[in-house]
Amino acid sequence: MVGYIVRRLLAAIPLVLGVATIVFFVVNLAPGDPASIYSAPGVSPQAVEQMRQNMGLDRPIHERYVRWMGAMLQGDFGISFSRNQPVRDVIAQILPNTLILSASALLLAFGAGILIGVVQAVRQNTFTDGALSVGTLFFYSMPSFWLALMLILIFSLYARNVWGWPLWLPASGMVSVDHNAMGPWEQVLDRLRHLVLPSASLALVLAAGVARYMRGSMLEVIRQDYIRTARAKGLPERTVILKHAVRNALIPVVTLLGLYLPVLFSGTVVIETVFAWPGMGKLMVDSIFQRDYPVVMAGAFVFAVMVVVGNLVADLLYAAVDPRIRYE
Amino acid sequence: MTGVEAVRRCLPALWLVLAVGLAGCTDPPPGERALRGLPEFCQEVLPRVDAHLAGLQQPSGERYGGTAVVGWVGELVDGMNALVSADHGAAQHQTFVNLMTLIQFDEALEPRPYLAREWELSDDATRLTFHLRDDVRWHDGEPTTAHDVAFTYLRATDPATAFPNAAFWERYVAGEEGVEVLDDHTVRFHLEPHAEPLDPWRALAIMPRHLLGDVPPAELGDHPFGTRCPVGNGPFVFHEHRPDASWSFVRNPDFPEALGGPPYLDRYVYRIVPEEITLLTELLTENLDLVLTPSPDQAARIAEAEHLELLAFPFRSYLFVGWNARRPQLADARVRRALTRATNRRQVLDAVLQGYGQVANAGVPPFHWGYHSGIEDALPYDPEGARALLTEAGWVDRSGDGIRQNVDGEPLEITLTYNTGNQQRRDVAEIMQAQLREVGVAVQTQALEWAALVERVTTPGDRNFDGVVMSWVTEFKVDDRDLLHSDNADQPYGWAGVRSPGLDALLDTLQVMVDREEALPYWHRYQERVVEEQPYTYFFFPERLAGVNRRVQGVEMDARGEWVSIADWWIPAESRRGR
Repeated sequence: MVGYIVRRLLAAIPLVLGVATIVFFVVNLAPGDPASIYSAPGVSPQAVEQMRQNMGLDRPIHERYVRWMGAMLQGDFGISFSRNQPVRDVIAQILPNTLILSASALLLAFGAGILIGVVQAVRQNTFTDGALSVGTLFFYSMPSFWLALMLILIFSLYARNVWGWPLWLPASGMVSVDHNAMGPWEQVLDRLRHLVLPSASLALVLAAGVARYMRGSMLEVIRQDYIRTARAKGLPERTVILKHAVRNALIPVVTLLGLYLPVLFSGTVVIETVFAWPGMGKLMVDSIFQRDYPVVMAGAFVFAVMVVVGNLVADLLYAAVDPRIRYE
Repeated sequence: MTGVEAVRRCLPALWLVLAVGLAGCTDPPPGERALRGLPEFCQEVLPRVDAHLAGLQQPSGERYGGTAVVGWVGELVDGMNALVSADHGAAQHQTFVNLMTLIQFDEALEPRPYLAREWELSDDATRLTFHLRDDVRWHDGEPTTAHDVAFTYLRATDPATAFPNAAFWERYVAGEEGVEVLDDHTVRFHLEPHAEPLDPWRALAIMPRHLLGDVPPAELGDHPFGTRCPVGNGPFVFHEHRPDASWSFVRNPDFPEALGGPPYLDRYVYRIVPEEITLLTELLTENLDLVLTPSPDQAARIAEAEHLELLAFPFRSYLFVGWNARRPQLADARVRRALTRATNRRQVLDAVLQGYGQVANAGVPPFHWGYHSGIEDALPYDPEGARALLTEAGWVDRSGDGIRQNVDGEPLEITLTYNTGNQQRRDVAEIMQAQLREVGVAVQTQALEWAALVERVTTPGDRNFDGVVMSWVTEFKVDDRDLLHSDNADQPYGWAGVRSPGLDALLDTLQVMVDREEALPYWHRYQERVVEEQPYTYFFFPERLAGVNRRVQGVEMDARGEWVSIADWWIPAESRRGR
């Protein structure tokens, strides 16, 4: 198993470097450059040229590529043009925010999706099944930005101003402005309250998909002979479903995990913007518009690494769930 | 390990990761800053600021206290580093919140003392001497002196710094010869006589020499001072910056009484909320106290909310369609005038900005002392007049298809380019398209990504466009030479490419006239000339809007900016936030 992991990681190196190279050239060859942001009437072309020089953009592209690649391999991603600080620091500040959001969304999506799928399969062709099907299809077909705005409308605006609920949820940011004045537990609660809407917006759409898969997979499993055997030998229905059926129905669902990771990362772009969540998605979009090359390249690199690692984890989980699969 | 067991074992681990993630972000106790992870410079400087603050007596009185939270869509790019920043929000924070300028403008846009208590311009207008206050200290306790002013000037004019607005000082004597420190609180500049010599000193905040004096100019832009640990001397002390999320500032109890004394607010927080609908929601639910530049269609919602007030105030920007007079169909000024006359700009203003703004006829804003109200009716909406002008210029519908042609049979076709994602400019382009069709001009619209658009219109050899929908923000000191002077037609911003000796002469004269009274007739003539040449179809000067929670008192905004009165904002004790 360890050998397998090492081999997979080694195989990922050219992949990640390839992604970084492609991104480098795409970004650098796009029209416009970071210094042009400062360009305006009254700003002399010399000043813009000087800025370009200060940013190292006066050098030919191949030279910049070699220099950048060399520095990156030593862990130096350069200095952000728009933020005037080392890219490593920028990403170190921002990446955890995205990880919190995507990890919680992933947990919520799989937790809720698996639960709904199981209930639907067990109660197949009942009213509950029908209602949940309509519900999941509703969320599955919904664009996440619209869902996000609706959640804000309901749980922030109406909950507070119109219905006067005692528990309403904040519509933006990671913490309240009074956060620093709170006790430690209040701070954790404050963070959780801010996490609910963005992670729900991301998770609901994914959960609906997971639920559909889980339902199908569950229905297949409960028709198998060994389930009939389990029932025949007098096991309680609860044990039959949870211990014997769910375990096997999970196998195809786990593969979804690997598929959903990239979706999740791209989904955060919209959600982070709507909820003013200072994360990687928003950082990348802003940096692309500002032609902040070092940040865009480092961000793409980080995303590539995360997707590679995510897929590896999904494959390993696959082996963990299905004893027939062994990685040598 | 079986499947269910594996998942069961993984779940607590995942929860643990999440919990640790949350706990890892837990902030330091109240009042303390997080120094962890900051660069060495900040680790050194911030404790000095804290120690200085701790030794100061906080003011008392019923107005003192509370936190005001402002929300806007963008980061304060380059933060408090006045030597490299070109961002409006950042400049506002430098001049009104964290740092100080030598002078400020009053409501009538006349200079008034700030860091400089007085100044004199020599009779021949070649020496400008500032006498500084002696009671202003940097937030780490060091006094602000004339050496800081000289340092700021030298860095800003050093090409290696790449200060974006170096043109401020194009008529100042450059380098060490241009500035003299007469004593700790007196500094003198040497200059050529020119219009508005004081203007740069309202815009550029003075920077601390004792902290940045050793930094090579080319490295100033990357210095942590700007966004990690700025040390100012203004009414608010920097407290914390969470990238892409917020900036927070606390009161400077040391701010001189003569300048209004310490601000009323204990704390001021600037939050970045990129989505407009979220911004509005946060204002309506009182999580934000002020929201800047809500869109005109959100204005009604703000105006009808009882706890909110809608502010509308003039700003220095204007929206226009810049014509490329190098194109044969746009080379004739009569055609350009006809295009403007065929466009109902008032109607566009009402449709696009819900009336929040004023129709423009030149790039001189209505609050400028040289504004010429006499040109307001010079190019009214007049399709008949437009048709006559086009016919006179030789464009007649010869083929009967509704589009005019010249003698060679070439149709009068124009492409209007704007940047993707800007609904306002798109609306302007589309309305203009419909209205010009009425007088026989075929207009196509084209959206380009921002950087691609900028490159296309600013690359002198390229300029592959007919008309571009764009906005400029002018300075208080209006100087259109980069845009309209024929010497600059082949420079990046000479979009129009209009070559008019009369216009050139006026543009040059306006920049060297020291006396306003003498200059006023020239300003009027200049604006008349612009109307005649029509390098642009000027659309409107939009008003800026702001939504303000009524619990925050003393909020005034005008052409000077959104933060101009921040030291006077106060919140009655009963309506302050929870704690």
